[in-house]
Amino acid sequence: MFNLLKRFFLFILILTFNSFLVGDQNNRGLEILKKTDENMSGYGDSQSRLVMQLINAKGEVTERSMRSRLLEVEDDGDKSLFVFESPRAIKGTALLSYAHKVEPDDQWLYIPAIKRVKRIISKNKSGPFLGSEFSVEDLSFQEIEKFSYKYLRDEQYNNQNCFVIERTPLDPYSGYTKQLVWVDKSNYLIQKIELFDRKAFHLKSQFFRGYKIYLNSFWRPGEIEMINHQNGKSTILRIEEQSFQNGLTDNDFTQNSLKRSK
Amino acid sequence: MLQYLIQRITKIQVILFCLLFNYFLKAEVDYLGDFSFEGRYFLEDGFFFQENFHSSFTFSPEIYFESEDSKQSFTFKPKLRNDSQDEERDLIDIQELHWVLTGNAVETRIGIRKEFWGVTETFHRVDIINQTDSVESFDGEDKLGQPMINISIETPSGSIDFFALLGSRERTFAGRFGRLRTPIVVDTDHPIYESGAENKRMDFAIRWVKFFDNLEIGLSHFSGTTREPEFIEDLSALTPRLIPKYNIIDQTGLEALYILGGLAIKLEAITRSGQKDRFSAITSGFEYTQIGIFESRLDLGWIIEFNHDDRVENSSTALGTRLTFNNMADTQILAGILWNDNTNEKSTFLEASGRIGDCCKLSLEGIVFSKGNKKSNILDIQKYKSPFEYLENEDFVRLEFIYYL
Repeated sequence: MFNLLKRFFLFILILTFNSFLVGDQNNRGLEILKKTDENMSGYGDSQSRLVMQLINAKGEVTERSMRSRLLEVEDDGDKSLFVFESPRAIKGTALLSYAHKVEPDDQWLYIPAIKRVKRIISKNKSGPFLGSEFSVEDLSFQEIEKFSYKYLRDEQYNNQNCFVIERTPLDPYSGYTKQLVWVDKSNYLIQKIELFDRKAFHLKSQFFRGYKIYLNSFWRPGEIEMINHQNGKSTILRIEEQSFQNGLTDNDFTQNSLKRSK
Repeated sequence: MLQYLIQRITKIQVILFCLLFNYFLKAEVDYLGDFSFEGRYFLEDGFFFQENFHSSFTFSPEIYFESEDSKQSFTFKPKLRNDSQDEERDLIDIQELHWVLTGNAVETRIGIRKEFWGVTETFHRVDIINQTDSVESFDGEDKLGQPMINISIETPSGSIDFFALLGSRERTFAGRFGRLRTPIVVDTDHPIYESGAENKRMDFAIRWVKFFDNLEIGLSHFSGTTREPEFIEDLSALTPRLIPKYNIIDQTGLEALYILGGLAIKLEAITRSGQKDRFSAITSGFEYTQIGIFESRLDLGWIIEFNHDDRVENSSTALGTRLTFNNMADTQILAGILWNDNTNEKSTFLEASGRIGDCCKLSLEGIVFSKGNKKSNILDIQKYKSPFEYLENEDFVRLEFIYYL
């Protein structure tokens, strides 16, 4: 009887300690990702030129170029506008997004041939983005509030000391069950993300390269690569040119601005 | 005054205007546009001995430039089409010739433009600014350029657009040797206008659009020359003809889109007066997309839309599906059926398209019409009783090759 009671107490003790430990690990994961988020914010607005290289399993490359505009929004997700420049058949096609912290994002697509602005159902974000290995979800803002976190371990990656954090999307419409994130310890920047699909299969890996600090306050990668392990294809998104604090306002992110994007 | 000016503009003046404008803005000019070749093969002989194979080519270049601060832009886009059989399908149109001035919350657009209104896929009830180039394609989504002054204002309670429409355009109709024509040919050379100013009447329109999280709503009103003429039968002449009659109408439109999880619920409704009795027409339906079907990267979209029009005795239903391959060539296949519950009239279509390399696009389309069980007066097209009646023999396949400049 006494033995049983002792066991029971021990069990309770382990349970409390365990949950305490788990809670601590969750917090640590969140704190690290919060720091990476802070490292990326404070840019005000940005304008960039991007090149997307689509590489198939045989190594053949096709290119797409686009322009983007971003606007930092206080207390909510950021606003973005992507305009395609090539291939010529889709030139002028544009995507406007209002990201939100928890709520689904608002998105509109402009089809220049018929001058039509079409609302996109944001649930449909797990599909490929214009034939690339990125999904709309991958290209959206990864707001802190959209995940739960768990610190896993420290690990060397690319000769850098990194934290490895597991984050789980809270959105039931996410294409992923979990993501493993490698954050370097010196600058707190995301170096690599492994993406696990709905069947918890390691589907894709995303690599961030060529980070630079701008205006002494925030960081941006120069290149993002997405490798799809299932089909052997990959996509490289290269930032060719970018400028910050251009004085963009909400008026540059309206349906009218979508229509005039060329 | 402006109306007079726009009507006076010749092509040479347009080019001079472009060059001058360019000089003032010292801008870099973008040359865009496309060249396309189309072949249509009709499976059965025409009622009126028209040919079975029709081909056409279309050239639509575009000049675009903007000022350094991007506050002003200029666009010029003509469209030239030549058809092998039907001269009514030949076209010289200025699709766009406009100047845009962007202010903080106000955008002013002057010149010839295209403007689309609406949310539904199969019928566009609310869309009224541009005239339909109905001989270009069967879906009615191709439009003619409309001269206008448009002021668009963004306010916290939505965006408001004001339009002064300088004159109106006539709808295109297939001629004697064309296919998909009405049994009695429409005489596009002698239209009748209710307005004394004929097609030079200045019309007005206003539209308000606002979005709240999951709901988008739009209200519009148009007052002016109808885009959808009625017909007067003239059987007295040697060759009988249908004379299009353009009344002055007032049309109020409502458009709404609501997103419920993965489902989009859509509604377009209008009420119009000025053509016989006041009537209403509604299109409403759903759109849903399945992402990554069969564990692939393919998406499958579904559309169902219900139509009601007071002028038609029975309502029709449209069901469509779109298979998107999400590949480098942006291949997609679109299939659909439009049917009338009571008369069993049907039209079924299939369209596949994809890019070839970076320059070109190929699309293949097929439509089959079935008359159903209703035997009404074949000439009675203006009562909208049986729009498919005269299309019974007009099943066709169409191949189009587009080269982007």
